[in-house]
Amino acid sequence: MKQILSDPSVQFLKRILKEPLAHFLLIGALLFVVYGLFSGPGSGRGEIVITQGQIEHLAAGFARVWQRPPSAEELTGLIGDRVREEVLYREAIAIGLDKDDAIIRRRLRQKMEFISDDLAAQAEPSDAELNTYLQAHPDAFRAEPRFSFRQVYLSPQKRGKNLQRDAAQLLAQLNASGAKVDPAQLGDALMLEPAYAALPLGEVAKQFGAPFAARLPELALKQWQGPVESGYGVHLVYISERTAGRMPELAEVRETVRREWVNARRLEANEKFYQELLKRYTVTVEDIK
Amino acid sequence: MKFATFCTRTLIAVAALAQPAFAAEKSVSTDVGTFDKATAEKAYPYPLKPPAKQPYAPYAERNYPTRPLFGDTHLHTSYSLDAGVFGARLGPREAFQFARGEEVTASSGQRAKLSRPLDFLVVADHSDNMGFFPALFAGKPEMLADPTGRKWYDMMQKGEGAKAAFEIIAAFSDGTFPKALEMNPGTPGFRAAWQESIKAAEEYNSPGRFTAFIGYEWTSQGSFNIHRNVVFRDGADKAGRVEPFTVAPPAGSPNERDLWKWMQAYEDKTGGKVLAIAHNGNVSNGRMFPLIEFFTGKPMDRSYAEARNKWEHLYEVTQMKGDGESHPFLSPNDEFAGYETWDKGNLDVSAAKTKDMLQFEYAREALKNGLKLEKELGINPHKFGMIGSTDSHTGLATAEEDNFFGKVTPMEPNPERATKPFLKNPKTGLTVMEWEVAASGYAAVWATDNTREAIFDAMQRREAYATTGTRMAVRFFGGFDFETKDAHNRLPARIGYTKGVPMGGDLKDAPKGKAPTFLVAALKDPIGANLDRYQIVKGWLDKNGKLHEKVYDVVWSGARKPDPKTGKLPPVGNTVDVANASWTNAIGAPELIAVWKDPAFDPAQSAFYYGRVLEIPTPRWTAYDAKYYGLKNLDPKIPMTTQERAYTSPIWYTPKKL
Repeated sequence: MKQILSDPSVQFLKRILKEPLAHFLLIGALLFVVYGLFSGPGSGRGEIVITQGQIEHLAAGFARVWQRPPSAEELTGLIGDRVREEVLYREAIAIGLDKDDAIIRRRLRQKMEFISDDLAAQAEPSDAELNTYLQAHPDAFRAEPRFSFRQVYLSPQKRGKNLQRDAAQLLAQLNASGAKVDPAQLGDALMLEPAYAALPLGEVAKQFGAPFAARLPELALKQWQGPVESGYGVHLVYISERTAGRMPELAEVRETVRREWVNARRLEANEKFYQELLKRYTVTVEDIK
Repeated sequence: MKFATFCTRTLIAVAALAQPAFAAEKSVSTDVGTFDKATAEKAYPYPLKPPAKQPYAPYAERNYPTRPLFGDTHLHTSYSLDAGVFGARLGPREAFQFARGEEVTASSGQRAKLSRPLDFLVVADHSDNMGFFPALFAGKPEMLADPTGRKWYDMMQKGEGAKAAFEIIAAFSDGTFPKALEMNPGTPGFRAAWQESIKAAEEYNSPGRFTAFIGYEWTSQGSFNIHRNVVFRDGADKAGRVEPFTVAPPAGSPNERDLWKWMQAYEDKTGGKVLAIAHNGNVSNGRMFPLIEFFTGKPMDRSYAEARNKWEHLYEVTQMKGDGESHPFLSPNDEFAGYETWDKGNLDVSAAKTKDMLQFEYAREALKNGLKLEKELGINPHKFGMIGSTDSHTGLATAEEDNFFGKVTPMEPNPERATKPFLKNPKTGLTVMEWEVAASGYAAVWATDNTREAIFDAMQRREAYATTGTRMAVRFFGGFDFETKDAHNRLPARIGYTKGVPMGGDLKDAPKGKAPTFLVAALKDPIGANLDRYQIVKGWLDKNGKLHEKVYDVVWSGARKPDPKTGKLPPVGNTVDVANASWTNAIGAPELIAVWKDPAFDPAQSAFYYGRVLEIPTPRWTAYDAKYYGLKNLDPKIPMTTQERAYTSPIWYTPKKL
């Protein structure tokens, strides 16, 4: 399909089809002509023909769901149901049941929006376009900073009013003892891990809460610091390694940027499509009482 | 030919006209397709795995899950017919963006953002009428293989698009439309929506960071809620080869047995994997966990039990339309039964509920009946673990009390929602008010990795639990050898996995003289409320075939003592200031850990055990609404406080001889 895409004639066609209003007008014109040709007065005896193609289509639809072809009996049922639907559908339209029905109005609106969505489908963005988008939305693509750290927890419930004193003592002890003690055995037990490797800041926030995560970038490396408050109590923290957040090159995040670029274009095109259609109407809203 | 038929046909024809261009577009987009780990690593510059050099971090590598992943397995978007009718404008893409933690504009025009990202999401739109997106743009190269198709394609290339369109219409009207072409643009409308839904999941699935599952909801017996969410382990390459199973005959079926056949057929055909999660037994009017099969009127047989046991490892026990763990009528001795209960009728209150229906609706009772059925049939049809999810129809997976966007778009935050009816049926005279809608819940999964495969596999082994919207971490291990000192270990999870089985597991054939022991642990939500207590719910089948249940308080905050007469632990207290919609963590505990041994164990009787963890009382969403909108003189019936909770998947004990 990529070959088709790059075919110059397809590119030309796409340019035409990309013009939503032109497309919409075409639909409108077709409807008008067809309506004039085929809508007869009254509700004379209608004809319903179920073509071979439609039967095969019904059978194929069944097979896709059930993973097997329908039996003869099931196929007869499918056809019967199709005829019933057609009869009731035509009669319902004939007596105007589709008018002023909120569900049908919303459904039709949704179908228009689906069409508009697809009309908005764009050609592949160039690297230059994607780069511009990347530079314009740095926060959406910036790589998070990461932290390798250990933590020792002190429980406010267990320590009570001695919490701050205990924290200060433990901090001094940790910084003095170097590698001689195992910090994982100090402080109070907590279900969180005593050590984390290269944890993205967002993950830190998920496990310790955002205020704790916000403190980490301020702390000096390779020494015990704190106390740092979390949703659980206070922690003494030793950061062994920190990877700064950075702007990635386009090549590293191309697929993500492309996805966001396409989404942004889609929203723009939908709005433009609507605004073009709106131009065809004079909208009068009476005063709000 | 009447006008109406021609409207449809004209649209189809116009689409056919447009097809080649869109075909190219679609297939290019699909190239984004399989978003595997290699792609992700390319896409995200920082390493997914910790660097090889791990200075000073000897505890970081674990071969078991170290933190629960939170998500929603049941979210509807505008692709669901009912959501769209209610005014939902957000589609699957916006739903994934929101769940990943991005700010989006809700259908009501308000800005919406989660307090923190979720880890995974299943967009589960109703399969019946899904999208209704005409298959105009299906994009099939086969079109060009047909001579007429080729001709029209060439005409359009020469700029004769309008002429081609008229030919196409004429072909439709006189029945000369080529069969090969008719098959494609005429495929059911939902096919395109299904493909779009798959595409959105593929785009937003970021292994290691955020998992976007492909899924849908099979919505049987509408008002009696025999609904299942179907979740795929696979990507578009497999899930895209089938179409969702629907309910409406003749293509679909309202019988869950047929859904299970469809699932089997999917796995056989693609080599993929799929699971189903039932929900809202509480509004099924006795049909969710039956002893008598609804469609045959006969007692459940072994083939039904086998299939259900195979395909349904999880049950959605809590969500916006009420909580389904336990009911006060069934569990009169459980003072915490009856949380956010909906027991007036079926889903749309078109039929009232009677008390005899309750036993076939609530999870605890179903787990008990499962033991009985297992003894009769040799297999337990109700061997399910528990998760929560939202069932939101807004595209917004919100379950937090202070950030609740409601069940449907008209229930997005507004001053009237606390006082309006949500459901009203003049025939039965039943009304459910919007204030009765619960801000619940989420699915927590102990997966080793944030990927489709790891989360799906954890779901299949039932290593998952339900929360009512909080993100507390809950461990539950069972074995025969846990000792009190294990609760004081610095790494309780390591002891748990070493000496026992995690939630969702099995204990069999107790060693002589031993009783099941459980290592339980809960850690509060880092930005949430403290914990009140960790309870174990036991259900068992005695030798006379009678079912029993008992709730044990295992570990709790503070120095409370159970009442010597009733054995009941006093309430934890209440710090909620309703007028200000606030509370403090002055009571409760951030963490609860203990080892518990079943004091009344009989090795010859089958049993199950699950954990229930309660938070201290906090303001309910109605209190946040009242404060924000300055609501006065509200109906005193409206609850203003809540006790959020978690339910773990059970651990089953099965004797050697059933």
